[in-house]
Amino acid sequence: MSDQPDNTSRCPFTLDRRRFLQGLGAAGVGVAAGGLGRPARAADDHAVTGAPVSTTTAQAYPFHGRHQQGILTPRPAAGMVVACDVLARNRTGLERLLRTLTERIAFLTEGGTYPERDPAYPPADSGILGPTIAPDGLTVTVSLGASLFDTRFGLADARPRHLQRMTGFPNDALEPERCHGDLSLQICANTHDTTLHALRDLIKHTPGLLMVRWKQEGTVPVVPPRDNGPTPSARNYLGFRDGTANPDTDDATLMDALIWTGDDPEEPAWTRGGSYQVVRIIRNYVERWDRTPLAEQEAVFGRHKASGAPLDGAQEHDTPDYAADPEGRITPLDAHIRLANPRTPGFEKHRILRRPFNYSNGVEANGQFDMGLLFIVYQADLQAGFITVQNRLNGEPLEEYIQPVGGGYFFTLPGVVDATDYLGRALLEATAT
Amino acid sequence: MSSRSLLIAAAAFGLMALQGPARADVEPEALVEPVAEYKLYVLDNLDAFVGHTRDFTRAIEAGELERAQSLYAPTRVYYERIEPVAELFADLDASIDAREDDYEKGVDDPDFTGFHRLEYGLFKQQTTDGLAPYARRLMSDVKDLESRVQGLTFPPAKVVGGAAALMEEVAATKVSGEEDRYSHTDLWDFQGNVDGSQKIFALFKPLIAEEDPAFVERVEDNFAAVEATLAHYRLAANDPEAGFVSYEKVSDKDRRALVGPVTVLAEDLSTLRGKLGL
Repeated sequence: MSDQPDNTSRCPFTLDRRRFLQGLGAAGVGVAAGGLGRPARAADDHAVTGAPVSTTTAQAYPFHGRHQQGILTPRPAAGMVVACDVLARNRTGLERLLRTLTERIAFLTEGGTYPERDPAYPPADSGILGPTIAPDGLTVTVSLGASLFDTRFGLADARPRHLQRMTGFPNDALEPERCHGDLSLQICANTHDTTLHALRDLIKHTPGLLMVRWKQEGTVPVVPPRDNGPTPSARNYLGFRDGTANPDTDDATLMDALIWTGDDPEEPAWTRGGSYQVVRIIRNYVERWDRTPLAEQEAVFGRHKASGAPLDGAQEHDTPDYAADPEGRITPLDAHIRLANPRTPGFEKHRILRRPFNYSNGVEANGQFDMGLLFIVYQADLQAGFITVQNRLNGEPLEEYIQPVGGGYFFTLPGVVDATDYLGRALLEATAT
Repeated sequence: MSSRSLLIAAAAFGLMALQGPARADVEPEALVEPVAEYKLYVLDNLDAFVGHTRDFTRAIEAGELERAQSLYAPTRVYYERIEPVAELFADLDASIDAREDDYEKGVDDPDFTGFHRLEYGLFKQQTTDGLAPYARRLMSDVKDLESRVQGLTFPPAKVVGGAAALMEEVAATKVSGEEDRYSHTDLWDFQGNVDGSQKIFALFKPLIAEEDPAFVERVEDNFAAVEATLAHYRLAANDPEAGFVSYEKVSDKDRRALVGPVTVLAEDLSTLRGKLGL
């Protein structure tokens, strides 16, 4: 990112350095063009191949804290989930893996310069962002799958209470090669390239410890900044706003109740400050959806497509009044948002935090797009959260247009509190013999 | 930056696991003997390769299906051991060892020749019919390869780089089982690549053993781990000639167990040229 102008104090020399490099570039072009008998053309900001400019490359989220980043952190434009098998052969290897991930994530999310190496060696970094990297809003969230809590590392007795291997729901068509994993990495940043750079760094530093099992990249569409009022929720590939009904992430008490594991005395103590992560790769049949009447689309979701408002409301964040519509004349009883959150007393404990991305992978044999939702949610209690909500949704009309094909359940580790701490320390200490 | 401050920077960034020490002071003359020995190793393997290819292709021409099938994997081993050298001749590498994926029309492509075309006939179609022209072409290509290598000056960087290149081969196409998709004899090729890589490492090890014993120990440990897993799938524990079970019989767990040491070997051996100043 040092190759881009940057108006922050993080890299005060960046602009000058860029002008210096441009000067070199211009000289180089001059020599080459001169040799062909054409006038030299100075490189400038309008050059066709000039890098696109961003004003948020210096954005950084503090790595240390009670919770990991990437959960309550505002969702940026690019995200991916990478599920891995752990290849470490013993607890020593597992600890080395977790310590290495901690060190690398701390560096990558703060930014900095890679060491130079003797050119006879492979370089220290892929270099795809240049020798100095900017944080660019990067977060990496590390979570563990149920399969890690087997006999390999002596973790069997420390498995989070609700952590289990994801099983298919009635509408699922799970593909084994896109499911489960010992460990998941959720990598999010302002730009896709920053997430890929982080992934390549993490994998290069963990040879023999991690093997990638599956990877799903995603994005969400950006919107212009707003002067007042809440930023509207991003749209999914069905064209509807997604995440409107999320619990208020500024309400710390609510987050402790709904998102962070810890209050349940039946959970192992090491889980305090962590969260259950559900990942689902949900294929959307977009061609068919685009051939569906708007009124039907809106009835399927229970929201107006343009504004995102509930069918009985005017603004996105209006609260639907289902009590006034007991027969579902305005919002059908089987509309997605009504099933997912009936807004009844006592349902509060089933609320989950949605933080999804949209994905687009290519083309199926039938010429239709492989597009959909990289669904990611967090909750303090997997059973009360996603599993309860999804069971309510089984059979909903939306199923005609979507099909979950992959994903898994994971437990997001508590945060790394300071430089002496590392990801998973509490788990390893709790299971030490 | 001095090498000392480089090391400090590396430690600060948690790169110590990857960062080798500063390069060993290796005199160019010190490379002469191992490179010469490696050439002998390659020529020995090529000699055996020509002989085995002769038996293999004769069996095909004689219409002996089962014999040809049984000779397929044992013949390839010699090629797999010396692949980095063989690949210096891109035309021959394509005609001897290309896979159907390398051609737009796949198995029906007229340019698709060599071992994998024969593999398709012998193991998928289960016949030697129509294979004789491919067999004759393979025999002549292999002889051509031998005569070209005899006249070749071995560049030290290519020789040393071969140790890592062989592990990249394993990581990219052997673990997945796509190399020998019809015969499922991937473990033979796997062993051939590992043999070739280990040979190169053994020849140059004396030049770095003193400077970097931890590196040498790690590489040897990982070679041993790979060998131990491979040994598990040998048909006869004490007879290397007996070969391996079908790759289809290798459990997912063991396939993953191979990825670990193979990836660490690929990372470590990628620094071998640097350590030798090449």
